[in-house]
Amino acid sequence: MANHLRDRLRAVALLCLASGVLAAPAWADLTKFEIDGRIYTKHLYQNDDSQGLLSLGNPFWPDKVSGHNGVGSEFELTFRGKVSDYVEAGARVASRFGQRWQDWWESGASDFGGQENTSGDSAGMNRAAYMQLRGSYVQLNLRMPGVDWVRIGSSDFGMFNPWTIGKVRYIDRDNGRGYFASGHFGKDDQFQYHVGIIAMPKLFVGPGWSTGLGDPNLGGNAFWSRDWAYAASVRWQPQDETIVRWVADYTQDLEVDKADPDAVGSTNPTCLDQLGNPIPGCVIDHAVDMLSRYSSWNSTLDIDHTFLDVWRVQGLLALSGQRIDQTLTANGVALNQGVFPIVYKDTDAFAGTLRITGNDPWGIGLTLQGEYFNIGQDYNAIFGARREADVLLTDGLVGNGGQLPTMNLANEFIDFDDEWVESCIGWHGGTGLATWEKDETRLRAEYTFITYNQNTQGRDIDKVYPTFLFSEGFTDTAVYDYANTLDRGRDPRSVFKRDQDRHTQIAMTNLRQRWPEAHGLELDAKFKYVSDVDYRRLNGPGALNDDYYGNIFIARAKLSMPLWDGIKVGVLGQIDHWDEQHRTGTPELGYGNDVTDKQTAAFQTQIYWQGVKISYYLEYIHKFQDRERQPDQLWNIIRSKATIEAAW
Amino acid sequence: MRLFSPFRLLTAFACLAIPLTALAGGDATLTLTDPAGDDNGPGTYKYPTAPVYTKGSFDLRKLEIIDKGDKVEFRVTVGAHIEDPWNSKDWDGNGFSVQFAQIYIDTDHEAGKGFTGPLPGLGSLKWADDEAWDKVVLVSPQGRAKLSSETRKAGAMKSAIVIPTVTRAQGSTLIATVKKADLGSTPLNKWGVNVAMQSNEGFPLSSDLLTRPVNETGGEHRFGGGSDGDCDPQVIDIFAGKAKGDAAEVADQHKALAYKCGSQVAHMPMIYPGQ
Repeated sequence: MANHLRDRLRAVALLCLASGVLAAPAWADLTKFEIDGRIYTKHLYQNDDSQGLLSLGNPFWPDKVSGHNGVGSEFELTFRGKVSDYVEAGARVASRFGQRWQDWWESGASDFGGQENTSGDSAGMNRAAYMQLRGSYVQLNLRMPGVDWVRIGSSDFGMFNPWTIGKVRYIDRDNGRGYFASGHFGKDDQFQYHVGIIAMPKLFVGPGWSTGLGDPNLGGNAFWSRDWAYAASVRWQPQDETIVRWVADYTQDLEVDKADPDAVGSTNPTCLDQLGNPIPGCVIDHAVDMLSRYSSWNSTLDIDHTFLDVWRVQGLLALSGQRIDQTLTANGVALNQGVFPIVYKDTDAFAGTLRITGNDPWGIGLTLQGEYFNIGQDYNAIFGARREADVLLTDGLVGNGGQLPTMNLANEFIDFDDEWVESCIGWHGGTGLATWEKDETRLRAEYTFITYNQNTQGRDIDKVYPTFLFSEGFTDTAVYDYANTLDRGRDPRSVFKRDQDRHTQIAMTNLRQRWPEAHGLELDAKFKYVSDVDYRRLNGPGALNDDYYGNIFIARAKLSMPLWDGIKVGVLGQIDHWDEQHRTGTPELGYGNDVTDKQTAAFQTQIYWQGVKISYYLEYIHKFQDRERQPDQLWNIIRSKATIEAAW
Repeated sequence: MRLFSPFRLLTAFACLAIPLTALAGGDATLTLTDPAGDDNGPGTYKYPTAPVYTKGSFDLRKLEIIDKGDKVEFRVTVGAHIEDPWNSKDWDGNGFSVQFAQIYIDTDHEAGKGFTGPLPGLGSLKWADDEAWDKVVLVSPQGRAKLSSETRKAGAMKSAIVIPTVTRAQGSTLIATVKKADLGSTPLNKWGVNVAMQSNEGFPLSSDLLTRPVNETGGEHRFGGGSDGDCDPQVIDIFAGKAKGDAAEVADQHKALAYKCGSQVAHMPMIYPGQ
């Protein structure tokens, strides 16, 4: 433990001793106690009239936090204590984010009908900045044969993988709780395992992003207190160069069997039918039967092998499946306009990737990577990583946040400068990536070809396959709105269409050059071209006139340099030109050709000073959307984000 | 018959790759080698329990120092592929997350010149007077702005800290490029060097320079097997003996890093491969 902290705690202990509050033996325990603190303040401003602290908040419910103009703070304390030689315990408490500095008096009450007014008792808990327990755990470091530790409480699930149970996104990093254990066994501890029994979040892991709550088929009687996920991973490293991993999970959403006479709201409370006759098998025994509303499983087997020191092969096979009881699960595809995170039927699917990397095999600074991927159209990691992970090598179509094999992506609770993730369900193709690095120069070039396992005609998107309502057009992540009132293009979760015959090519080059002699000046330039072709309908009237041809050009350059110790500044410029023929329309009315031009300029600085981190990002976007069949659209956006973070 | 089956493509790729790989060669000026499996400090240290600290992540295997004219390239190889589980690009980092290597250099091999204690955060560790270090290269995942800000904690040692112009990860190797002028004018073959292998802690204790503590009992993000006091060396692996990778160097390391609170301070040996 650090001197300063111990000194501080000793001082506290001595003060307590002097005042007679603390008994002397407690001193020894205090020296085994760590406290980390953090205050984070964010300023978000834009030349519009929305109020809030978050660019993109809850996509479904009004959250009183989202908006583009506001400043607010968050405070957290993380505690770690050594209980004994074998036991560690910890917790994090953090204030709820969303209270703007102008919310002087908001108490957390939502009196007066929850309407905002001058009372100070109106805006609810989201604006009260109350302290909330976010993570608590006890870890038993057993150090016994076969079991290293057992953990009860919070975990970020980092021991599994994005294809099964993904590492939880940062803002939820310790909201997941369960029972976990890990250990080693075998010769030279070649095997390492993790197992977990995880309390499933009532939000997001299931049909309609729910384990029953809000499902109309359950009639307001959802039961989620016994919904658990089970996961295991085994890592076998027989030699330094070879690692074999198996990871699997199973999720189980249980609901009450309403035919059980003991259930609240039972359809058979007396075990008699309408004629008064006993119902066979119906017994009142004060025990309630359960039914499975939804279950899913995902499993991966991957091999990571290095040979000749510099060549690395990584292969992964994955399977995915789900079972739905449609009497307990409402059809969100039909009822929610296709905004639904699963296919509405039982599914089984496979996926596989094979990546080969040559780490500078010829000693000239050239690294080569190639990847083949084939992800089944019904693969869906419902509890997989939702963001902050990436399973493919490619830069992808939108953003550089990564590609994930789930429709449960979380491009939400983010600000305008955060990265985006996209679903790679159904992708089938390959990527080649060459990286040349020499001293202060790094040059990367990528080519990717993708076809789609979803390519078919006449898919049932009315009752089975979700489309997320908007499947057409290149996605604009910079000017995005959930409801798509501003024609922002395809939802990154939308992987199904009624008629599709699509293939995509991506070419990307990226140059990073540093000049130490010029005070560390750094250039990061990127050019990307996406050719996206979808012949849509292949037969029938108008089939020849609905073909989509998207030619997407994006050029970006950033110059940055350190001014002096701890201060870095940068300027950025980006030009987008999206030429999309037959971008939107209908078979009946025809399709229009749209051209989007966008110019972005930005200034950025980061300052590290005496333990405080300050960052500032100022951006101007000019976007013009020339649309053939709808009115043109213009954006002139100026927006900024400033954060101040002090941690100790 | 299919001309382009995956198996044929892989075979062709391997046939091309293997002979070309044989052509690969480095021009390392100095090379140190370390045996596998000694990533336990004085013999008792354990990794943190979080899964990001994979086996071998801090197990030094090799240090190569390559003279590139007006630049010097340092290559630190460990016993695991270097991953980036904390998405370093999100915090202006260098493409890896958990490793932090400090390369100590004695450019003169003279007593009375240089430093005989470590940078803050490495606990209790001393250098012999005639092996005192003069420069230390920080191979960190942190971006230059944060790293340079943190050097304020080094006090008088700050002027001896060298931040690479480029730091990156490739396979299981950390690569750092340094301006030769920042290291002084002594020829490389006169140097004494060693590496203190540590772990990057983005939110360190206020007196530590981005290092992860070693405690008596390990934790999710704390090394274990050390002392809760200040008497243990907070390094996970170093080079020892003649740094040729001999198995006996494991014992040399354990002996060098052995400590007894109140009576014995761990010792950091410097390796002089050119002498």
